[in-house]
Formats: sequence, C-alpha cells, structure tokens
Amino acid sequence: MELFWLEHKKLWQRGSVKISVLLCFVYIVIFGSILSFQWFSFGSSNDHTSAFGNYFDGYSQIRKCQEYSLEYGGSLTDETLQQMVRDYQRIGEAGMEAELEKTDQSIINGWLGTLYPELRDESIYQTMTSYVDTKKLTGFYERRQQAIETFLENSGQTGAEREYLLSMEGKVEKPFRYEWVEGWSQILGSTVAEMGIVIALFLAIVLSGLFAGEWHNNTSSLVLTTKNGWEKIAVAKIFTGLLFALELFAVLSIGSIGAQLFFLGTAGWDMPIQAIKLIAIAPMNMLQAEIYEYAFTLLGAIGFAGIVMLISAAVKNNVQALLLSLAVVYGPMMIDQYLPYGAQMALDLLPFVGSGADIFRTNTFHFFGRIIWSPYLLLVVPALIGVVCMPVAVMRWARRMRA
Amino acid sequence: MELSLDRLTKHYGSKIAVDCVSAVFQPGVYGLLGANGAGKTTLLRMLCAILEATSGEVFLDGKEVTSMGAAYRDTLGYLPQDFGYYPGYTAMEFLLYISALKGIPNNIARKRAKELLEVVGLENVAGRKIKTFSGGMKQRVGIAQALLNNPGILILDEPTAGLDPKERVRFRNLLSDYAGDKIVILSTHIVSDIEAIADKVLLMKKGKFVLQGTVSELIRKVDGKVWELEVSPEEAREWQAKATVANLRHEGKQIVLRIISDSMPAKKAVLCEAALEDLYLYYFPTEEGVQ
Repeated sequence: MELFWLEHKKLWQRGSVKISVLLCFVYIVIFGSILSFQWFSFGSSNDHTSAFGNYFDGYSQIRKCQEYSLEYGGSLTDETLQQMVRDYQRIGEAGMEAELEKTDQSIINGWLGTLYPELRDESIYQTMTSYVDTKKLTGFYERRQQAIETFLENSGQTGAEREYLLSMEGKVEKPFRYEWVEGWSQILGSTVAEMGIVIALFLAIVLSGLFAGEWHNNTSSLVLTTKNGWEKIAVAKIFTGLLFALELFAVLSIGSIGAQLFFLGTAGWDMPIQAIKLIAIAPMNMLQAEIYEYAFTLLGAIGFAGIVMLISAAVKNNVQALLLSLAVVYGPMMIDQYLPYGAQMALDLLPFVGSGADIFRTNTFHFFGRIIWSPYLLLVVPALIGVVCMPVAVMRWARRMRA
Repeated sequence: MELSLDRLTKHYGSKIAVDCVSAVFQPGVYGLLGANGAGKTTLLRMLCAILEATSGEVFLDGKEVTSMGAAYRDTLGYLPQDFGYYPGYTAMEFLLYISALKGIPNNIARKRAKELLEVVGLENVAGRKIKTFSGGMKQRVGIAQALLNNPGILILDEPTAGLDPKERVRFRNLLSDYAGDKIVILSTHIVSDIEAIADKVLLMKKGKFVLQGTVSELIRKVDGKVWELEVSPEEAREWQAKATVANLRHEGKQIVLRIISDSMPAKKAVLCEAALEDLYLYYFPTEEGVQ
C-alpha cells in the first residue's frame, strides 16, 4: 500500500502530469462546458464584436429557452409539433429575430427533415421550420415508425436483427416527453461524447512514462535490484495508472456536471433520447443516456490506461511509448472509414475508438448467432482489454530487464 | 556468507562480454579493475540478477540467486554505473522511496535515511531537489541509497566517478568502516581507489579475470618491471611512442619517465618500486581507462 501511494505521489510530482491535467481541465470544463454554455453555443447571437458572434449571456438565454418549451405542455404530439412550428413562423413573420433563439429550432428542423422530407422545398434557402404547412404535420409517430423501418432496411438490417431492434424500440414510451432539447443535445452529442478523445491524449502523455520512464531516468536497474522492485512495484504502478485514470475522469466529469447543473439544471432529464435523434431505438431517457456516456468514458479510460501501461512496460523509451499509445487510439480512428464494415466494428471495440453516441444508433454485433446491440459491447470490451493488459504489463516489466 | 560465480558467461550476439568467469567472494572488499569495455558492468549486473547470463550461475551460500528472488535482493545494495534518480524528488524523498522498494518499514526508513545523509555529508541539503545537486552530490545520494537496507552484499559500479578528492577519501573511509562481515564489490578504473581499500583485486580483461590477489600480491607480479629513465624532451616523445610510459615528470630541462618493461629499457634506466597502477598498465598497455 505504501509503495502504491509513493508511486502515486511520484507520478503527480512530474510537471508534465500537472500541466496535462490542467490543460485537459481547461479544454473540457472551461472551454467545452462553461464557456460553451455561456458564450459559444448558447449565447444570444448577433454580437458582431465577438469572435463567435454570440453575446456572453448563455445562462439567461438558456432559461428563456427552457421556459418557452414549457408552453407546449411537456408532451410531443402532432398538435404540439404543429403549434411549435406555427409559433416559430409567426415570430419570424413578425420580424422578432431575437425571439426565435428561444425556440428549439434546430431540433425541430431535424425532426421535420427526417419525418416530412416531401415537404422540403429545395428552392427555399431557409430552414423547413420557417415555411412548411403546419396542417401537413400529422402522423408523427407513424411516420417515425416508418422512418425507422426504412432506415433498417437501407442498412441491410433484416430478419432477426430487425425484430431485435424493433422490439427494443417498442419499449420507448410514446408520446415523447418534451422540454427544451438543445442543451441535452449539446451534452450528449458533443460534451460527453467527445470527452474520451481528449482524455486519451492526456492519459497517453502521462501514463506512457509510467514504466518506460524508469529507463528514461536510468532508475530501472536501481529499482529492479530492490526487494520489491520486480512485481510489487509493477503492481503499484498499475494501480497508480488506474487511479490516475479515475482521478482525471473525476476532475473532468465533476467539472462538466457541475457546469451542466449550473447552466441547464435538471430540466428535461426524463425526456427520451429520441427527442435528439428521432430514429434512435434505445428506450433511454436523457439522464440514462448521460450515465451511459460517462460510464463509456470511464471504462474506456480504464481500458486505454491498461493498454498504455502495457506499451510503457514493453518499450524502454518514453517517446516511443507515447507514439505507440496514441497510435492505438488515433490510428484506428484515421483508417476506420477506409475499412470494411466488419473491421470498423471490430476496431470500435478498442478503448475510445468507438463512440458513446452509439446509443443513438442501430449498430449490432453478431456473436455465435446472438445479436448484441453495440453500446453493450462498447461499454464492456474496452475495459476488459485494459484489464487483460494489466497483468501482461507486470510480466513484461519483470521480463524486459533481463533481456 | 559466500557469493560464488560458476563459469558465468554473457554474449551479446557474437560479442563475448563476460567469458566463463568463476570466482568466490567472502566477506571483504573486492576491487574489480579493468579498462572500459572489459566486462565489469555486465558482470556486476549479472551478480545483481538483473541481467540474465548466457550460461553459468551465481550462488549465494550454495543457492542459485535468481531462484532466491526477493530474498537475494533483500541482501543486496547496488549502485549502478549511470546512477539515475527522479528529478522532482528531494534527497530525503528519494531515499524514502527506495526504502519502500527495499521493503524497509517507514519509521525505520526515515531514521536510516537521515543517518545515511549525514554519513555522506548531505544532511544540510536533505530537502533540496536532487536535480539541483552537483555530480558528486548525486553520486553520494547513490551511495546512500545502496546502503539503506544494510546489505550483506554491496555492489558498486564506478562509485567514485564524479567525486572530488575529498569526497573520494570520505567514501573510502565509509566503505572501510562498512565492510566488516559484508561482501563489497566495487568496479572502477581509478586504480588508487582500489589500492586504498580493496582486500582483493580482480583484474578483468576482455571478459575474463586475468589476475586475482591482494594488492601486494599483484604488485609483486610487476616487481622488476618498473623503471625510471631521465631523458630530454625530444627523447621523451620517442619513448612514449615505443614503450609503456606510466608517468612523466619534469626535472629541470630533463624529463623523468616511468616505464613498464619486462627488460631494462635503456642502460641509464633505474629499477624502482612498483605500484598497482603499473600492474594495470602492464596488462592494459594500449587500452583507455587509466587515471
């Protein structure tokens, strides 16, 4: 235990670790959450003096949006959709552009594009919300069902797989609860979903030196001639790496959730995720989806930490360990799109290569005749890979020195 | 306590670093003397069980050391040639960290680290980061860490490298005090260190022990082979090219050369008393590494 705390202290004594965590916090929490809510994403528009074109008033703007959405009764039906679109058009016609910002315009426009494509007029440059005939916005849930079935057919998902996905969809409660969606869309589609990519970079920077650093510092032979220098220190290093992954995750998630609670509150937590992406089939509400995405990030971090530590134990050079670690996550991301679908799916199982946003998709894995919805495996497999890497890292560390 | 090497060999590809070396070490100070590349560090790393031998074995009291694992490492203190440290650590933090690696309980470790910092003369800078230390101070931290667990076998690879003369004397005294019933093996190419403290010297050349014995026994090997010759500066240059010259001393306009030679190099040459350095030069006349 003492070794573990000493190793942990040693890790945090490195300047690069402190700088990495600070940069990560600034990027994810300060820029990705606080400034994004207050300025980049939700500040009211038309500030021509600002680089982003927005005023620094996201907090009050978000409240206006949330209050406005409550006017539609909390339930999404043909009538409420028609009313929302009608109100949007009325405000637009009255020239009250600033008022338009409190509507869920981009979300509603997405719904219209998905469910009522025949109403799109290519000759009009404005969004569909501003010109569609509201009387034609009927059969919302029937059309949605049709859209899902068409999508599955186009994706080649037929037979048992189709039945599996549709039975999952059948558990989605209808009509959907509705409150302001844009904030949740930002969190689930961007803030949390992309957190892993940044965490991967900084985990690689910090943990690639965990074992390899002993060669970098010329301390390996010293360490390995001590009583506990073979396995015990390696185990302490593994737990240190794991704890660091948890600490980094905790710092970022607590910061992000704190910012979320401050700016958005908890309103709309029980809306289904279908409010963000209509053809999603998962019976999940926003809160469940957020928990999933955070769990995905946490388990991905554990998995990736395991891989980085294995690489660090297997090579004797910090830079080599860093580059190999980065290649494990960013390499597949770069080549993914050029590979066959099966290979893409397999690579997605590597930590952080897949996406937590798969809960909005209908991807599946087939194992020995069983169909498994991809988010289940994307959650479990990366962590398992990491767990398998950890004892191998201990063995590599012990063996490497005697070569 | 007895540490023995049985036909210990290490190959790196086609290069033979240590060639079928056998020896027995009992309590005392052993000086491993050899030029750079003679195989000293490779041998010491195998003794520490951090480098696998190509063939041969190391035994401690009849037990093969790699099979002893932690029990063997518990008896070991090691100062590697390129002593590494963690730049962000203070001297005290570093010693406490190594103590933990050596399995020394925290309360004992703190006391022992304090004592050793005093012994190596670093007690006033215990709280300073090692990266701010001079080369000699860092080396003293290295010596202190090797002694933390009061090891029965102390292996020091070039321990006096980077130490100034005063620090070297302090180190020699420290080692003499420490040795007692312990096995101390130190490798160096600084002959005077060995001469001052080693009970027994092992001369290593091309991976083999070419000579073993006490300092006086070894010096006897070159008795009658060390000469002094007074020459002009021009002649001195010629002698340096054609003979092994151990020393060169100006006396007025003339130069007195110390020449190692099996036979009298010149009629004017005078036989003189041999030293360990002469033996070293006798065996390594063309190789680097003597100071």
